[in-house]
Amino acid sequence: MNIDFSLLITEISLAILGLTVFTLGLILPAKSSQKGLGTFSLCGLLVILALTIASWGNQGETLGGMYLADYFTSFFKILSLTALILVILGSKNYVNSQIENHLEYYSTLIFATLGMIIMFSAGDFITLYLGLELMTISFIVLTSFRRTNGKSLEAGMKYLLLAGLSSAVLLYGLSLVYGAAGTVFIKEIAGNIAQGYFNPLLIVGLAMLIAGFGFKISAAPFHMWAPDVYEGAPTPVTAFLAVGSKAASFAVLIRVFLGAFLEMQEQWTMLIAFLAALSMLIGNLTAFAQTNIKRMLAFSSIAQAGYILVGLVAANEAGIKGVMFYSFIYVFATIGAFTVVSEVYNKTGSDDIADYAGLSQRAPLAAVVLLISMLSMAGIPPLAGFTGKYYLFITVVQDYLWLVYLGLILSMVSVYYYLRVVLVMFRDEPADPAPLKLGSTASLTLWLTLAATLFLGIYPWPLAKLANTVAIAFLAGL
Amino acid sequence: MSVWLGILFFILAGFAFSAIGLGLSFLIHPRSKNRFKLETYECGLPTIGPTWVQFKTQYFTYALIFVIFDVEVLYLYPWAVSFTQLGFSGLVKMFIFIFILVLGLWYAWKEGALEWR
Amino acid sequence: MIEFALNYAWLVPLLPVLSFLTIVFLTRPWARLSSAVAIGAMLGSFLLASSLAWGVFTNPAFIEEPLHYSLRWLGMEGFTVNAGILIDPASAMMLFMVSLVALLVQIYSTGYMKGDPHYSLFFAYLSLFAASMLGLVISSNLLQMFIFWELVGLCSYLLIGFYTYKVSAREAAKKAFITTRIGDFGMLLGILFLQIQFNTLDLLELAAVIPNFAQLGVSLGLLTLIAILFFLGPVAKSGQFPLHVWLPDAMEGPTPVSALIHAATMVVAGVYLVGRMLFLFVEVPGSLTVVAFIGAFTALFAATIAVTQREIKRILAYSTVSQLGYMMLALGVGSLSASLFHLWTHAFFKALMFLAAGSVLHALHNKADVWEMGGLIRKMPITGWTFVVGGLAIAGIPPFAGFWSKDEILLVTWEYARHGHALGYLFFAFAALTAFLTAFYIWRLIFLVFFGPEKANDHVHESPLSMTLPLLVLAVLSGVAGLIGTPWTNLWSTWIHFGDAHSGEPAYLLMLLSVVLALAGIGLAFILYCKDQDKQAARSLAKKYPALYNLSYRKYYIDEAYTWFTRKIVDGGAKVIYLFDIYLVDGVVNGLAALTKGSGQGLKYLQTGKLQTYALIFFLAVLVLTVAFNLDSANALAHLGGVK
Repeated sequence: MNIDFSLLITEISLAILGLTVFTLGLILPAKSSQKGLGTFSLCGLLVILALTIASWGNQGETLGGMYLADYFTSFFKILSLTALILVILGSKNYVNSQIENHLEYYSTLIFATLGMIIMFSAGDFITLYLGLELMTISFIVLTSFRRTNGKSLEAGMKYLLLAGLSSAVLLYGLSLVYGAAGTVFIKEIAGNIAQGYFNPLLIVGLAMLIAGFGFKISAAPFHMWAPDVYEGAPTPVTAFLAVGSKAASFAVLIRVFLGAFLEMQEQWTMLIAFLAALSMLIGNLTAFAQTNIKRMLAFSSIAQAGYILVGLVAANEAGIKGVMFYSFIYVFATIGAFTVVSEVYNKTGSDDIADYAGLSQRAPLAAVVLLISMLSMAGIPPLAGFTGKYYLFITVVQDYLWLVYLGLILSMVSVYYYLRVVLVMFRDEPADPAPLKLGSTASLTLWLTLAATLFLGIYPWPLAKLANTVAIAFLAGL
Repeated sequence: MSVWLGILFFILAGFAFSAIGLGLSFLIHPRSKNRFKLETYECGLPTIGPTWVQFKTQYFTYALIFVIFDVEVLYLYPWAVSFTQLGFSGLVKMFIFIFILVLGLWYAWKEGALEWR
Repeated sequence: MIEFALNYAWLVPLLPVLSFLTIVFLTRPWARLSSAVAIGAMLGSFLLASSLAWGVFTNPAFIEEPLHYSLRWLGMEGFTVNAGILIDPASAMMLFMVSLVALLVQIYSTGYMKGDPHYSLFFAYLSLFAASMLGLVISSNLLQMFIFWELVGLCSYLLIGFYTYKVSAREAAKKAFITTRIGDFGMLLGILFLQIQFNTLDLLELAAVIPNFAQLGVSLGLLTLIAILFFLGPVAKSGQFPLHVWLPDAMEGPTPVSALIHAATMVVAGVYLVGRMLFLFVEVPGSLTVVAFIGAFTALFAATIAVTQREIKRILAYSTVSQLGYMMLALGVGSLSASLFHLWTHAFFKALMFLAAGSVLHALHNKADVWEMGGLIRKMPITGWTFVVGGLAIAGIPPFAGFWSKDEILLVTWEYARHGHALGYLFFAFAALTAFLTAFYIWRLIFLVFFGPEKANDHVHESPLSMTLPLLVLAVLSGVAGLIGTPWTNLWSTWIHFGDAHSGEPAYLLMLLSVVLALAGIGLAFILYCKDQDKQAARSLAKKYPALYNLSYRKYYIDEAYTWFTRKIVDGGAKVIYLFDIYLVDGVVNGLAALTKGSGQGLKYLQTGKLQTYALIFFLAVLVLTVAFNLDSANALAHLGGVK
């Protein structure tokens, strides 16, 4: 079997980077000297990102069709790497003060990313599952990283058990699909279905696939784990879980549902629309009652999953474009918000919204970034979130108008709970007026996310065009 | 429908297999009751003290590491069999594989997983 | 450098934006550093703008073929907006002028605002203000221009209300913002209509398609409506009657801001915009007449008010309104060249006079009444003499800048009248009368403030170099800036023109008339306010015609009329709507909000934190999904019977 290594450049270099960080961590004696690991990983990741961008347009399949490389995977690779870089950059302060084991932290983050990339680049179900588990297990470890913190352990345990359950369901679904369609290769499944392999077992399998992936993107009603895990996990991990794991799972959803089951579109779009609506409803409405900012952001991320699912409902070029565009801008808004949360936690030791009182005076930059990120998530023009939502909802205006109305109404509703935080930050007097000094790398992250959210809101065309090209290429390559 | 009948047959056969085995032994085994038959089977020796003891988590760490290297052999065996056909690249790949596992062992060692405390 | 400036023209507005961001987020605690950043960035902008202007004016190709490049900015099906840059002689001239005046104003402000607690912020706002105007000038697209237009409005709001502790400043800021919003609303409607009817907002494309409006199925009536709506924006922004009321109040801001607003950044935006859109107005003859009429009327109207005002900055403010009227008049009679020429010269002498007035106020600790000043020229020679230069320029004494541009406006108005527009004679009469009044009120101010006996100005001394240096530069420019547009050299109208370049013979008779009018005005002022030490004649004149005096001094009671209108009509209407709002709308909204909040509280309890519950819900959902899926797909059920 010939292996085309040029298609695997990102994956191989990520694996090497992860192992190098691991080995370095083992060689370096003192815990204090391990602080350099973050910088090292960051440099390595930047190189890998550059490599990935440079190999844009490398297309093909390798390992006998088990592994794919195309524009679509390149786009999501860039997205995952960008997210990882921003998370590491923003979390340096937090890690230095809250987490002992740098070696495990950085290498596990890198392996999680490798898992994501393998997952959405997979050409068959086995490879897909392998990537998914690499990602999930890494996240389980990361979630329970603060070993002395009860909440973190609880979150890790919950995530372990529930992810296990969902994996079981997913595997069952995959095997049913295999049984019905006679192959594990995504492309061949599409062909077989077109030839009339249609079978009720396929439907059952599909439902289970939706459940399995629905769990990963935290779409209601498979979202129950998200608030508890988001709250308990170390904040940078939460950010990466919300951004990376979710975006990668969306990529897989597109790959599987459009790649293999496009023929059966009529059957599953209605269900996805139902999931989208339920996620928007539950996410937005429950967010109202939260007093912990991480829980609130968790529910908001459930709602965001609902918005992104709308693009999948459309199941066409515009829909894919919407999903990709939104996933990308969601990276910046979410990481911006969570970086603020982790910095504030680092200084005040609290995630309560009430403790954000007067943040605008204590750390103006943090307050502004949180404001902009939240407004972007709520979809207020001229921020990126507005454009993203526009691209998503415009795709279903014709067939699912009710979904559009629901989305618009709930977006308006969401402004309420976002602005509640803003009000606390900007109106209330701080209990302790001492300025809250942000770490320099965290500030840099905040600036970057702020700039990206503003820029992509005001001038979305480059990214939109890119997403459009990728979407066209993806559908053409089916 | 014939395919499905086959599956049905296999399911039934599976149930039947276990049912027949258990049923037969139930029917033909000699019924002799004594005290020793009710004892927990512990390597042939009577237990000392209560058996519901808690194990140290370290025990599981050992077990896990053992399993990892136990399973490694599973991969090494077919490789060794077809070693001549795989050639140099096969050797390199296996070294990479073992290297990654050794890294894990190294880590476990350094974290003190191999010391009983 | 020139090549670079042409290719990177967008850097001109970007530099001040960067300095704005730097100051707000980084250097705010260090006042001196902040001002250095602002001035440095502005200097960069100015250097770029001047090499750009040099490049444009030395290369005749640009005059016919503007430099235009754009990026796709927003896009959806059937609607694309390109953001871009349009460099032609008009925008090059504006870039140069705006960046120069902004630079001088910033240098001046280092002296004027010294010791202010919000010193850094002031420079940040000034930078953003200049940036918005520069951005507006080079925009190639109306939507893009509108955004900058609104930014200009926002900055003016921030700067006019800069002294937030002063009630009058806050009120003035609100007044400026709201009044200009009225115009912006009309303008936005105009832009929307243009997009709907012509499906483009690009200036060059519009210029190409609008002359063929009839073929595109756009009626003349609609086009007229568009033009009038569009004109509302400039009317408000450029302080034309009847929306001029905000401009005189805008002097509540720090004086450098007034200089910037009146000379370079804000009010001339309206004139510039009408000039840019002249291709729209010429298609609708009626609309141009409206423009000309409003311009001529505003010119005279404001001049008559300025005659009796007592506050030094208020006189200058009305003078600006009046001069803007001139520019609009020139546009109305179809001469882009004359209008922008006057804009150009006016920028220098008006900035000069405002800054000099600021210098006076600075020395007198903000005592503003001209009747309480006198003889300042001996204590403050630089301020005084530069102001005199400004006065000569605005009055129209050759060879100072104002003479040439005003003469050009008189000339084009006269020719407009001669070409069969009966109203043109009226406009000409208005313009001529305004010229006389202008000379009179400015020299009234000069004589009262700088000449005559000294009045209790013991501690008065000349302002520091940072303030006088810009004055000197501006004085030189007020002297010579007009020379590029004399009837003999006539460079200006070959550069900037709409339609064919105007190349009339020098009209000596008109020049003579204009000089005579100016001299008459100055002479009258001299007799009433300088020669007559007690100003008896002036006082008795006011006493003799109290009605006329009060009408002028009270600014024709327009503010009072507006106040009455808002109090009685708007507030009354608002009360009715308010009742409707709190009982009906709020009832529904609050009900919905309560429902939403309640459901959030309810849903919260679903999240128990118990793993078993979560797993249960997960499996229930899988079950429901599977069943629903099978029930939903009638297809699937149909296939069930047909499985092989």
